[in-house]
Amino acid sequence: MSDPSAAGIYSGLLRFYPRRFRDEYGTDMALIFAQQLRDEPTSRVWARGVVDLAITIPARHLEAHMDRPPNPTVAVVFAAISVSGLVLGIIGGSSLGILGFGLAVAVVAGGLAVAAWRHTRAVSAARPAAAPWWQVLLGGVAVLATTIIVVNVVGEVSDDLWLPMMLTLLAGVVTTATGLILGIVHLIENRPVVFRTD
Amino acid sequence: MHHRLSMVSLAKPLPSASLHIVLALLEGEAHGYALIGRVVELSDGAVRMGPGTLYGTLNRLVSERLIEETTDRVPRHDSERRRYYQLTSIGRAVAVDEVARLQGLVHRIAAHLPGGATA
Repeated sequence: MSDPSAAGIYSGLLRFYPRRFRDEYGTDMALIFAQQLRDEPTSRVWARGVVDLAITIPARHLEAHMDRPPNPTVAVVFAAISVSGLVLGIIGGSSLGILGFGLAVAVVAGGLAVAAWRHTRAVSAARPAAAPWWQVLLGGVAVLATTIIVVNVVGEVSDDLWLPMMLTLLAGVVTTATGLILGIVHLIENRPVVFRTD
Repeated sequence: MHHRLSMVSLAKPLPSASLHIVLALLEGEAHGYALIGRVVELSDGAVRMGPGTLYGTLNRLVSERLIEETTDRVPRHDSERRRYYQLTSIGRAVAVDEVARLQGLVHRIAAHLPGGATA
């Protein structure tokens, strides 16, 4: 027997899907869920429905993100951060910590700017992305590894260098994560083609 | 709109949900709930799709031009407006190709079973 409250709760949960997908299919999905409640035990329908929501909501968001046109602003922002880091490094060159931190920010943000720019061009031209993700990933790993090695060689980090070191580590982690995300997106975007029409 | 199929042979088998929906639509057009029922029958109860999986897959198959929505082209007698879907010519070719692939798979597996048992 159909449970109106259960169908209402399910309709509410549909709000977690991307708006476009929800607007397109939300009514049909709620209708099907109500029909399943009518034809099957409520507990079974909910058990299946919860798993379905947990798997498909993130998947639809990822697809929606990938369908979004690339935003060249991202490349500009990273380029601006890169230049700022370079300027900071040059101005504060008397302090080794600030110089190192500024250069690290410049290198990382510059790499991200190039990656974002290439990704934008590749997607805009409807061509497969030129796989900048591995460069970003390698850059992040290099920053992490270099920082860790330097810290181990120095032995003890002074109070002045503590914050720059932590920020550099953070930049390395963020860059590595960005490279991994770009890599996953690249793999999904370039999955094998099933058919081709012309 | 006419699309020439330049490469029917599949580079890779369809994902499970897409495969079941495409095979279910070989019987003819259907709306979402009927499709879920057909997939349950085809899979002998092993595959029961939720609404999110169903419409996510339908959305992808429409964008890949393997299926098309027929809701607005065919007169309906339903009390509630539903979306109906059917295979495109490309989708039918892909579905037939998938069936042949699965038959070949079963045939080869059966040939390798002890005693040469057939399916």
